[in-house]
Amino acid sequence: MSRQYICMDTIRFLMGKVHPIAPLFTYDRYADFSEDEVDLLLGAAKDLADQHYFPHFKSMDEHGVVYDNGEVTTPPELGDIIRATAEGGWIGGTDKPENGGMNLPEMIFGTAQLIFQAANNSAQGYVGLTTGSARLITSFGSQELIDTYVPKMYAGQWQGTMALTEPQAGSSLSDIVTSATPVGQDGSYHIKGQKIFISAGQHQHSENFVHLTLARIDGAPAGTKGISLFVVPKFLPSPDGSLTYNHVFCAGDYQKMGQRGYATTHLVFGEDQPTVGFLVGEPNKGLRYMFQMMNEARIAVGQTAAGVASGAYYASLQYAKERPQGRALEQKKNLGSEQTLIINHPDVRRMLFTQKAVVEGSFSLAMECLKLSDLIHAAPESEKEDHFLLLDLLTPIMKTYPAEMGQKSVSMGLQVLGGYGFTMDFDLQQYYRDIRIMAIYEGTTGIQSLDLLGRKMTIKNGKAAQLLMAAVQRTIHEASTYDELKPQAQQLGKALERMGGVVQHLMPYAMRGELTTFLADATLFMEMAGHVVIGWQWLKMALQAKQDQLSGNDQFADAFYESKVQTMQFFFRYELPKTVGLHRTLTADSLPLTIGQVESALI
Amino acid sequence: MKLLVCVSKTPETTTKIAFADNDTRLDTAGVQYIMNPYDEWYALVRALELKEKFGGSVTVLNVGPAENDTVIRKGLAIGADDAIRINANPKSSLFVAKQIANQAKEGGYDMVFFGKETIDYNGSEVPGMVAELLDMPFISFASHLDLDDDQVATVVRDIEGGTETATLGMPFVISAAKGLAEQRIPNMRGIMMAKRKPLQVVEPIEAADVAVAVKYELPPEKGAVKLIDPENMDELVRLLHEEAKVI
Ligand SMILES: Cc1cc2nc3c(=O)[nH]c(=O)nc-3n(C[C@H](O)[C@H](O)[C@H](O)COP(=O)(O)OP(=O)(O)OC[C@H]3O[C@@H](n4cnc5c(N)ncnc54)[C@H](O)[C@@H]3O)c2cc1C
Repeated sequence: MSRQYICMDTIRFLMGKVHPIAPLFTYDRYADFSEDEVDLLLGAAKDLADQHYFPHFKSMDEHGVVYDNGEVTTPPELGDIIRATAEGGWIGGTDKPENGGMNLPEMIFGTAQLIFQAANNSAQGYVGLTTGSARLITSFGSQELIDTYVPKMYAGQWQGTMALTEPQAGSSLSDIVTSATPVGQDGSYHIKGQKIFISAGQHQHSENFVHLTLARIDGAPAGTKGISLFVVPKFLPSPDGSLTYNHVFCAGDYQKMGQRGYATTHLVFGEDQPTVGFLVGEPNKGLRYMFQMMNEARIAVGQTAAGVASGAYYASLQYAKERPQGRALEQKKNLGSEQTLIINHPDVRRMLFTQKAVVEGSFSLAMECLKLSDLIHAAPESEKEDHFLLLDLLTPIMKTYPAEMGQKSVSMGLQVLGGYGFTMDFDLQQYYRDIRIMAIYEGTTGIQSLDLLGRKMTIKNGKAAQLLMAAVQRTIHEASTYDELKPQAQQLGKALERMGGVVQHLMPYAMRGELTTFLADATLFMEMAGHVVIGWQWLKMALQAKQDQLSGNDQFADAFYESKVQTMQFFFRYELPKTVGLHRTLTADSLPLTIGQVESALI
Repeated sequence: MKLLVCVSKTPETTTKIAFADNDTRLDTAGVQYIMNPYDEWYALVRALELKEKFGGSVTVLNVGPAENDTVIRKGLAIGADDAIRINANPKSSLFVAKQIANQAKEGGYDMVFFGKETIDYNGSEVPGMVAELLDMPFISFASHLDLDDDQVATVVRDIEGGTETATLGMPFVISAAKGLAEQRIPNMRGIMMAKRKPLQVVEPIEAADVAVAVKYELPPEKGAVKLIDPENMDELVRLLHEEAKVI
């Protein structure tokens, strides 16, 4: 049996109670589902992760990716993982039945992905990309594109990718130069250019590659308004099923510090001979379309970070319960006594509690976001905008909090193992290497923070921010009715006020057009917002635990409920107070020290 | 060919076991249940494989309360055609065996499958009792089962230090061990179809519980791990000898 890497009871608690899925089944779109299916589906996902993902977590890292003259060899086990995932329905499940899906709620699908991510984050990346790119085609592509590409993608036979980044256009997608020249009236174009860092762009387990590519149609306006989206296959399929090379050349694979089993390729389109691409939707709307996939991918990256941190938490927890070292301080002189287990040292407990608080707080936020995605699909039109705005605001936080705090949490996990954590004999070093990328791809932390403070907080005259404040206030209000939760409810209220105070302090700069000053410390604002939002999630979890205990619900053991309340208390004592210091820095009287002519000091 | 697969429900393998009511029963607070792996991975899957090859139907059967329906649905999701639940809260193996035997007799099945044991109390009692009650041949711990065109079965069973091969005609009762088949994970379509498949609930026949558990105890706790330097074999030998007392 595999070692624990995720807590299924926590998943059931979150989906069944804290963010109850059942109300979704009252909507037409999800009327076919019930809690029985939820149980079976989550069980099937866990079985798949146990049997196919987790056993290859380490070996995929050890095998790595090998590039040779246009071909990329990834770990052999990957083929089996992709096949089993597709057979299970876990690539196309959320799509409409007419596209080969089952209208599966995002809550279930996303949670299944979280289980796979926790079991083997590199392997999940491949299938997750196929899901996202196929859904982009079914959302915005022509019926012909859907019929030609999507069935093979959902069957796991063709790999999907997102091809955005170019050497000069990483964070700044407006600088994309890959060109598209129309060749007929049928929406086909010749695509020319280079894409770098393309995940899953080439490997031996796929017959074809479907690159969802951003390019600029000849003569299109500069900037983001001139970017279009194309399907660029590596091989052009004919109606008889044969495939013809489309001159998409893989020029290399980046060797990386982590996610070593996950190919990161350099692709060249139309270098010697033309590469044909097919326009998706309308010209010049490519970035808008791509944002569907990017927003999903941002949540997925945050989830992956949380999943990796979860795997690390259980690895270090198990170690701490088995490793004897030292004695309680009161017993120090008593050398004849047995050594104590390291889990009994307060400092080790602090690290483990931090890990648990980060992991489960992030899981809860992920579930909140997934539920909002479902409501956007299924709720009455009049409610959709609110769900959309709230999700839009939470997305950069969901991407960033787990990515940033997950790194710290995995680092603590490694620390729990002492010297052994630094050796290749234990998995902690791999988690530590794997998680580092989460704060970089899909928009760096810096870029997410600009998005949060510069766009999302002010969107629709601050409506998204008001929706968040109101949602947090509702939890505060409910928690205040329980004596045991009152102090934390009040504390969260103050942290929320502090966050509002920062926005008030900074907003005048935005009004005056002093954007550099307004956004100079956006990343610190993100850190603050992340802590507030995760505090909100912890208060929600503790509130639910209390309510269940008081009502005598024994779906979970008492110890389980207690651990939720205790971890909430830990978060409020050790993590949330960080917002006080951040508030102080962010509302300082003088300008940020990073703007103006200060680069001369960086010597 | 009519195949019956008897499935039981058991606490998930990671469950922290505690007892209630003066240690006379399992404390079920917070316990998650799964289908017994020997029933699911080996018995059910082999039955499905035989059905796929020779035609016929696979029925899953459970003796238990309505909460067991999720476990039964999993059997349907994996591929069984229909299901029967005998609505009872059994306390002893003989009670369960009598219910199953009665149902199996009525259904006229060609093979009755069990897992070699349920991984909660590991009794291995029910299959043998059912075979006796049905007066059918019984092969336990089967790790291989094939059927030839004349419907003669060849069964390999694991025995101490080796294997034993037997041939027999239908009908018979068989209990499945590791190796009989490979786990099948239900797919999304199978799960969504499961609720449309028939699950028949029947009331139990009169039967007494003849054996009742009077007390459960946990094994002693595992001690802490000791890491020993690979150079220091003498210390390892000393610990194995003096502390673990295994050599
Ligand atoms: C392993 C891996 C897989 C990837 N997979 C894909 C993929 O599948 N498809 C794809 O299209 N791309 C992919 N990428 C690319 C990835 O999205 C980019 O690397 C990322 O967006 C950052 O771009 P960059 O590397 O050019 O860094 P830069 O944009 O050069 O950023 C460098 C630093 O400057 C900061 N910075 C940049 N601009 C600003 C600004 N305006 N304000 C404040 N700070 C700023 C950044 O935050 C960062 O700290 C992948 C990258 C990696 C490493």
